[in-house]
Amino acid sequence: MPRVFITGLGFVTSIGNDAATVVDHLRSLRHGLELYPPFQTPDIPCKVVGTIKGFTTDSTDPEDWTFPAAYSIKRELLRSMAPNGLYAHCALLQAVADARLTPPEISNADTGLYAASGGSPYLTHYHHERLQKVGVMRCSPLGIVASIVGTLNFNLVAAFRIQGASCGFSSACASSAHALGFAFDDLVLGRQKRMFIVGAEDGNRDAILPFAGMRTLSLQTDPALASRPFDKARDGFVGTGGATVMVLETEDEVARRGVTPYAEVLGWGQASDGHNVAISHPEGHGSAAAMRLALKASRVEPAEVEYVNAHATSTLIGDVSEARALRAVFGPALPQVAVSSTKALTGHGLSLAGVMESAFCALALRHGFVPGCAHLGTVDPECAGLNLPRQTEARAVRTVLKNSSGFGGANVAVLFRRAA
Amino acid sequence: MSEAAATPTPPNKPVAPAPKPFAPEDEVTLRESLKRCSPSTFEAAIQFRKTANPDHVPAVVIGVIERFVEPDLRVKLKDADDDLRLIEDLGIDSLTMMEIVILVEDVLQMSINNEELRNLRTVGDVKTFIDCKVRGLPLPKPTKFLPIEHIGSVMPIQPPFLFLNEASVSSTSASGKYKITGQEFFLQGHFKDNPVMPASIMLEALGQLAVLYLLEGAPTEPGKRVSPQTIFFTGCEGVRAHRLCKPGDLLSLSVKPKRMKMPLATFEGAIRVGADKAVIAEEITLTFGFVDIVEAPAPVAAAPAPAAPEPAPAAAPLRAAVNA
Repeated sequence: MPRVFITGLGFVTSIGNDAATVVDHLRSLRHGLELYPPFQTPDIPCKVVGTIKGFTTDSTDPEDWTFPAAYSIKRELLRSMAPNGLYAHCALLQAVADARLTPPEISNADTGLYAASGGSPYLTHYHHERLQKVGVMRCSPLGIVASIVGTLNFNLVAAFRIQGASCGFSSACASSAHALGFAFDDLVLGRQKRMFIVGAEDGNRDAILPFAGMRTLSLQTDPALASRPFDKARDGFVGTGGATVMVLETEDEVARRGVTPYAEVLGWGQASDGHNVAISHPEGHGSAAAMRLALKASRVEPAEVEYVNAHATSTLIGDVSEARALRAVFGPALPQVAVSSTKALTGHGLSLAGVMESAFCALALRHGFVPGCAHLGTVDPECAGLNLPRQTEARAVRTVLKNSSGFGGANVAVLFRRAA
Repeated sequence: MSEAAATPTPPNKPVAPAPKPFAPEDEVTLRESLKRCSPSTFEAAIQFRKTANPDHVPAVVIGVIERFVEPDLRVKLKDADDDLRLIEDLGIDSLTMMEIVILVEDVLQMSINNEELRNLRTVGDVKTFIDCKVRGLPLPKPTKFLPIEHIGSVMPIQPPFLFLNEASVSSTSASGKYKITGQEFFLQGHFKDNPVMPASIMLEALGQLAVLYLLEGAPTEPGKRVSPQTIFFTGCEGVRAHRLCKPGDLLSLSVKPKRMKMPLATFEGAIRVGADKAVIAEEITLTFGFVDIVEAPAPVAAAPAPAAPEPAPAAAPLRAAVNA
């Protein structure tokens, strides 16, 4: 079985649009949350969003968008993108440069791309409105590929001339963790030599507000208090968008190209709650099962795990359920495992979350730190027993675990190990 | 506003331009629709919407096409040659074509069928098409693009005396290209140490394009087709050569029928090299005749019977001509 390594990363996130800035925020625990201007109206009770800086994508016309001058994107490519496609395009360019990949190494039968986004509710809304207003035959010919779920993979696969496996994953907030898991499988099975894993979300009004009806969004008006996973006073999650791209390669490719990987992907597991369409299992059964399967597949004992990047989104039910799952899996080893949720800094990236936070784990493994629990005041008694460091710890860890959970009770766990 | 919503335009039905007077709010919408087009495009559009004068249509159509062409290719549209090809020369794909159509529909207040779009290959095709739609004229027969293989298979004239590399034929005109390679046999002696394309050969090339038009574009009688064996040169008038043409020059040929009545067809023709006028022929007249259309012969009959000493494939010299 070939080993699989992370060789490149790219970020457009609320805490930075490059790896160095992201590391800086993770170390200093500076968040990327702001009072989001479109939410500052009386009819919208939630106010805070993990905003993307340096980009403007508030027009329905991609030719109005602005993005950092380092990226030049032709109209031909831009016209079929959603905002999350633009973020991901830029993150993919970063990841390609980071992994030092040449165009032939990107476009060949052995290189694939798995992506996850919730599509673009914003552009879906706009194009459907035009359908009603100007008539069926006067709608943009590219409206459909710019807006439906899958827009991310359609655009990236075409723009980067991907010839290997390509697919979109849709398990809500577990989507890009699923993408990572199945990409790992394709590499291990020898189907592909290199995979791009992409997660992205618009993170705008239309992407975030539909969660308000479920009462899962934080109503906090102070950006420093809005996202507080495991805190007794937490009141819901803060939405965010952006993109993260991760490059996975087999050990042969790593050796052939002579690149230094961030970390090794050891294995993964997934399991479902079989409980409720939107509510986590109260005991975290599915999450615990996913962690156990990931540990077994990776041949890692719970006591070997030094850090868990939790899924915890700062919702009342979800955080408790994950804390119970962690207690069940780690048992007596629990005090030794540092746990934090970096969503305190970024907000919850939905389909983007899994790969974004996995990329944070890769940065932590390479640079030798354990991200702390930002904004954590009083720990919720229901989450007692977890080792929740308040500050980022500067220490080299060897083995880390990443949890992700999505609607329908989908749970994914992935294990990473420091390279060499 | 509610009125417009209550009576939506049925899709895919040609409509008369601007049925109601052009209101100030229409100008705002129009300006928004054309915000990425040149000011002259907007001016032409507003004139068309106010006056319904079809003379403004070409400027609108060219302006809309320009907006969707990548900036580095826009220069090609400056001297808008009607032969400019949308895909090959301007990089417009079928989706971009849809974007162009939707904006033209929006600006000129008309509807265009999917089927009507398929045959638009050149800027000229688009202009003619939109013009016919606006004036309510019948749409022209689609332009056919003929590669060298097709030209060679239908023409009575063959290499080394065929001076067309490719051609486009519609029911109203034909255009073609020929690149002077320098390998043409007659350039050996025309002139000594100074190869110049003979004017007589350039006239011949125009005549050949007229032959191709008769075979592929000309209207015929029902059940009849023009027979290649019946076409011959009868005369020409007003021929002038304006420019020396030498190896490396790409000749752009065009002919348009002026009169056609069996057995005579008279054309006007021109050759250009880039933007330069090279040859003008006010009239080239050919004779032609019809034969009955018969069922295609059985495949056996198509096989070449006599074995040539060197059985080179028939298409080889044609390909060589195109690759040269």
